[in-house]
Amino acid sequence: MAVCTVYTAQSLNSSCSISTPSKSHLRFHQKQVIFFTKRSRNTRNHVITCSASDAEKTVVIGLAADSGCGKSTFMRRLTSVFGGAAEPPKGGNPDSNTLISDMTTVICLDDYHSLDRTGRKEKGVTALDPRANDFDLMYEQVKAIKDGVAVDKPIYNHVSGLLDPPEVIKPPKILVIEGLHPMYDERVRDLLDFSIYLDISNEVKFAWKIQRDMAERGHSLESIKASIEARKPDFDAYIDPQKQYADAVIEVLPTQLIPDDNEGKVLRVRLIMKEGVKNFNPVYLFDEGSTISWIPCGRKLTCSYPGIKFTYGPDTYFGNEVSVLEMDGQFDRLDELIYVESHLSNLSSKFYGEVTQQMLKHADFPGSNNGTGFFQTIVGLKIRDLYEQIVASRAGAPVTAAKA
Amino acid sequence: VPRVVPDKKLSDLVAESVKEAEEACAEDPVSGECKAAWDVVEETSAAASHARDRKKESDVLENYCKDNPETDECRTYDN
Repeated sequence: MAVCTVYTAQSLNSSCSISTPSKSHLRFHQKQVIFFTKRSRNTRNHVITCSASDAEKTVVIGLAADSGCGKSTFMRRLTSVFGGAAEPPKGGNPDSNTLISDMTTVICLDDYHSLDRTGRKEKGVTALDPRANDFDLMYEQVKAIKDGVAVDKPIYNHVSGLLDPPEVIKPPKILVIEGLHPMYDERVRDLLDFSIYLDISNEVKFAWKIQRDMAERGHSLESIKASIEARKPDFDAYIDPQKQYADAVIEVLPTQLIPDDNEGKVLRVRLIMKEGVKNFNPVYLFDEGSTISWIPCGRKLTCSYPGIKFTYGPDTYFGNEVSVLEMDGQFDRLDELIYVESHLSNLSSKFYGEVTQQMLKHADFPGSNNGTGFFQTIVGLKIRDLYEQIVASRAGAPVTAAKA
Repeated sequence: VPRVVPDKKLSDLVAESVKEAEEACAEDPVSGECKAAWDVVEETSAAASHARDRKKESDVLENYCKDNPETDECRTYDN
């Protein structure tokens, strides 16, 4: 609710303005108040716009990952936690990268490319290079949305490689900015209420891209390898260092349960959670702060080769205190996940079995039988909890501010 | 506004970009040109894969029902 009560024109505070809507206002959205005053016979419309009150400010989440590393699967799991499917904006550009659901809007940071495909080729820079991106515009627009103001965001067309005409993005309850550089620019980083980094090891990245591209005409094992190798220096210089700023990192590594496994089918996934982050309490296994190794396979959980192994414990990550939960191996029967879920604490679920239920809902998504899907779902619940805590604390604050 | 690649299939685009990258790197394997060309390959491959996923997800009956919700095979009542 916007805290903006209007009685008479005199009592309006400075954050509100009255205008007659003769010219088009691009910035109107849910925070507009329209009232009518009848003067003799002609009716005049007045529009009062108020800057968003704290309680309605958008919560901003950043998700960083390389292309082809499962950002879209993560996004689908996240939006599903909030309920409702995410769809591209209706009636807009068919190649728009934006996804909108009731609660969340996901924007792809490729839309802030300052150089299009031809421009990058000419200058000899990759999309990973900061010089190919407009961080000033990214900052301005993310800040505007956070402050409750709609923006005209450009669209980078991944098919044509061109920058298309902009689309209007209205401030949602939760804004997710996903892409290569959500935490690169300090100003943008400071706008984030929570940040996640998907860290895919080189071995797994290679295996995933083979699965993705091998069937594609023109690609060979050599070309896939060459593409990863060519992008690696820029990736290491500009993308990878962002993980030190992330509140949660999901690391995907080859399994240690099978010696010399290179298939990338069985994965060891680590959820690294920063300690002391406001509104975020890390998940733990059995006993908070202890170091524990747990093999749940046995009478209560069916596991075939190579089984499942969980590890939990405190650690340091880039000089920060973190808690790390690790899962190596994969589930055979998804419904038995409830057994694992029942031994984890601080999941931020609303009812017993919610993680399992969310996983079963999307059993067809990649990673549903291993730690990638499991930890992504848990992070989704954590973000919902964070959002609810922020909204609750804001709802309390403006009342006292108004009375003061 | 006309598109640069109006109807060209994405798989053609991928094949083309791989060829271009191989050519760009034949001259100088550590140049910015070579690097940028392989980055374009990644971009087109990702776009092709996303398009494939979208196609795979669509169900023939579901699509038909979006346009014809009143037909026998599409009508659903909550209770």
